[in-house]
Amino acid sequence: MSALLSVENLSVSYRIPGGRLRALRDVTLSVRRGEVLGIVGESGCGKSTLAAAMIGLLPQGATVEGGAIRLEGEDMRHLSPDRQRGIRGRSVAMVFQDPMTAFNPVLTIGRQVADFTGAHGQRLPQAEIAAMLERVGIPDPARCLGRYPHELSGGMRQRVAIAAALLMRPDVLIADEPTTALDVTMEAQIIHLLRALRADFDGAIVIVTHHLGVIAELCDRVAVMYAGEVVEEAAVDDLFHDPRHPYSRALLACDPAVVIPGTGHLPTIGGRVPDLSVLPAGCAFAARCPLADALCRTSPPRVAGQGRSVLCHRAATQVAP
Amino acid sequence: MTAVLDLRALSVDLPLGGFLTRARLPILCDVSLSVGRGESVALVGESGSGKTTLARAVMGLTPISGGSVFFEGQRVDGDLARLRRNAAMMFQDATASLSPRLTVGYLVTEPFRIHGLPLPDPAATARDLLARVGLPPAIARRYPHELSGGQARRVGVARALALDPRLVVADEPTAGLDVSVQAEVLNLMHDLRAGMGLAYLVITHNLALVRHVADRVVVLYLGRVVEEGPTARIFAAPAHPYTASLIAAEPKPDPRRRRADLAIRGEVPSVLRRPAGCEFHTRCPLVRDLCRSTPPDLVPVGDGRQARCHFADQRQDKQGERHAVDHR
Amino acid sequence: MSCADETSLGARRGIGRALLADPMGLAGLVIVVLFLSMAVFAPWIAPYDPIALDVKAKFQTPSAAHWAGTDHLGRDLLSRIIWGARLALGIAITSVGIAGGLGLILGLVAGYGPRWLDGLLVLVFDSMSSLPMIFFALAVITVLGPGTATLILVIVLVSFPAYARLIRTQTLALAGADFILAERVMGAGTARILLRHLLPNVTGPLVILLCMDIPVVIMLEAGLSYLNLGVKPPAPSWGNMLSEGYNALRQAPHVVVVAGIPLVLATLGFTFLGEGLRDVLDPRGAGRRWG
Repeated sequence: MSALLSVENLSVSYRIPGGRLRALRDVTLSVRRGEVLGIVGESGCGKSTLAAAMIGLLPQGATVEGGAIRLEGEDMRHLSPDRQRGIRGRSVAMVFQDPMTAFNPVLTIGRQVADFTGAHGQRLPQAEIAAMLERVGIPDPARCLGRYPHELSGGMRQRVAIAAALLMRPDVLIADEPTTALDVTMEAQIIHLLRALRADFDGAIVIVTHHLGVIAELCDRVAVMYAGEVVEEAAVDDLFHDPRHPYSRALLACDPAVVIPGTGHLPTIGGRVPDLSVLPAGCAFAARCPLADALCRTSPPRVAGQGRSVLCHRAATQVAP
Repeated sequence: MTAVLDLRALSVDLPLGGFLTRARLPILCDVSLSVGRGESVALVGESGSGKTTLARAVMGLTPISGGSVFFEGQRVDGDLARLRRNAAMMFQDATASLSPRLTVGYLVTEPFRIHGLPLPDPAATARDLLARVGLPPAIARRYPHELSGGQARRVGVARALALDPRLVVADEPTAGLDVSVQAEVLNLMHDLRAGMGLAYLVITHNLALVRHVADRVVVLYLGRVVEEGPTARIFAAPAHPYTASLIAAEPKPDPRRRRADLAIRGEVPSVLRRPAGCEFHTRCPLVRDLCRSTPPDLVPVGDGRQARCHFADQRQDKQGERHAVDHR
Repeated sequence: MSCADETSLGARRGIGRALLADPMGLAGLVIVVLFLSMAVFAPWIAPYDPIALDVKAKFQTPSAAHWAGTDHLGRDLLSRIIWGARLALGIAITSVGIAGGLGLILGLVAGYGPRWLDGLLVLVFDSMSSLPMIFFALAVITVLGPGTATLILVIVLVSFPAYARLIRTQTLALAGADFILAERVMGAGTARILLRHLLPNVTGPLVILLCMDIPVVIMLEAGLSYLNLGVKPPAPSWGNMLSEGYNALRQAPHVVVVAGIPLVLATLGFTFLGEGLRDVLDPRGAGRRWG
């Protein structure tokens, strides 16, 4: 099956005093209908920039240096601004980390959701909105429509945001850290909701997060990002049980949630993320990699096959632990 | 041996904003817990459970309305000086807890200045303290906003350690940090405890963190202790349905162990409208009639544990079995 | 972990350098420095005694001997402007300084002190600022008689509530901040918290406000002197000069113009400097980091 949304060799940089910060370098990814793609990485790895680029909302100061973002084969960057706006929300919808910031505090939920859907086509009847709110697990949706954003809890606001996005029947739903601001029990409920929606939603979902647990619970495929590059892309089970890139392996190993209780020490990744405005030559992870050798000072190849791709000189030769 | 920290039936309530009413809103109700010398106790709960209020009440930032706080056997009563000299606190937002216009070097040595202790060579003291948390001496010249999240966290730890405290109260010590940095902070906390015999009261909603740092766990729900006991036992077989739900709700970093169903629904009720009977009954998957009418007491359930549930005893065996299967 | 760790871009750029990079702030700075040096070095740079009469030479237009001409009593206008700067800036800086200091102390006390004291102080600030400024000034001058000291007293009384309220609002906002709680947890006393931790974080906006208020005070002084309610003649106040120039507008229009120029320039200078400082010291700008 062909890709619904695909990112091809995308490079994005930010202008900063005295140079440019290379936030994304040669990123290639795609997501098919009915698939949930996870994008995972630590802060500063470029995952939020990638999410913003996918919906065509790069912040000021960001420049696309090359590559394409295709929705069903059509390069979104070559569309008129009007068409782009139409696609945003309509074909590609986004849910943010803190939905409070996405709502206008002085309007009721019902009014805002109606306005939002109205801006992208026909205004939907309140009954349809209420039905969608019920679908995302809001008790007493009719009453919720008359409330103001601050009267809802974080979990409820996130549900409303998801409902508003889904009312547009988008092809792609992008969720940027959808559970980070929530408590554990609410996080579990949102994960559960997204998983249930996936079954009857004929589109693709992209989850951007730093939380490996969320990825494991929710995604079909995962892209691991490091210093603006996708260093490994694989099916979720392959990644968690047979990570090939040394960074993926280190990241999985040091997750406090994964280690058997009782051990005093967790593995760590020594060193730090390179400065994206003065990148080292060759592999960006080499300075922190236990397997690095002289070869790693040259650009690593992308080794692809068996439904996965790894950006590493050693990917082919390495044996998984 | 006396406990480092002993809370006896601690209650905190806040005035409701009314102009004419004197009504007060209970935030913490009868919380008793103790932290032994060198022991690490985790206080677990979701937002609204009162866990941050408890930390602040212990450190004397929020007035307590009932019960008492004992520090090393002596009651803390108005005179906070001894407690504040020998106990330190790590804040959830490490960067915001550092005074913005002062350098790291000044900030880490400030406890000496506050308590009028000799500080012959501030630069050397700062260097030593920073070295203990694995930071280079050059950091001393920086300002708080120039630090990364992990560095600010370490500076907070260095400052907490300045006067060799006996107790560190840590509010969400890994919040907002990347996984790899979380691991570094946890390792640091572990090493300091081993090296200095520090006791920790760790306040968190992150169960992964609890497994790594805590000897004992205290679970709070709506300002009440609902379960308390040794970490390993509680994770193996939680006695209270809320604890069980929390453990079940935690996302497992293994796609082969995805949860099929949902252990808990709904949200923590508002402290303005506490449910009658057992306060957890509105979300409890095992609720029975008794729970809706009669509040349960915190009772011992074996293994040095206590739980606030009418049916904790009956469920113990069954749950133990199920969990054993779960974890294979 | 951010990549900004090592570089900390633009974090501790000197205030001075940032101000120099802003053309308006730079212009303001130059003008203010010019007037300040005129005020400080008046006895050395003024070519004549500002109150020495030379009736024979009255109403002279600008010439080589008198660069700015002379007034109706033959006094050298340039010298009067230079000495006037000393008077105007002296009064403005003294009164704004006292008012700022008073506002700072009362604002900190109101913001961090007990609630009842806060209530009392806010009542004082509010009643002071509800008085109509010009009538209050006239009333005080009527009672105490015109003069420099009265003028300073009036300005202090009229302007300190605004400063106190600014500081109080800022202090209240910071009193519950994590770093203040952290200091309390470590056992820091009230004096340490106020002086070391609150003071440095609330003064930025006050400095801006004070700078912007100096021209207001210069204008007020000139206005009151023009009405013969301020500095007593023959002291070389810009307001007195305007007043005298106005009386002789037909014979010698240059007197009014010459007396007006420094007033306009000083006002612009301090306002520009204030704007420049605002851009540099703005709390949202301080410590800003990308990423």
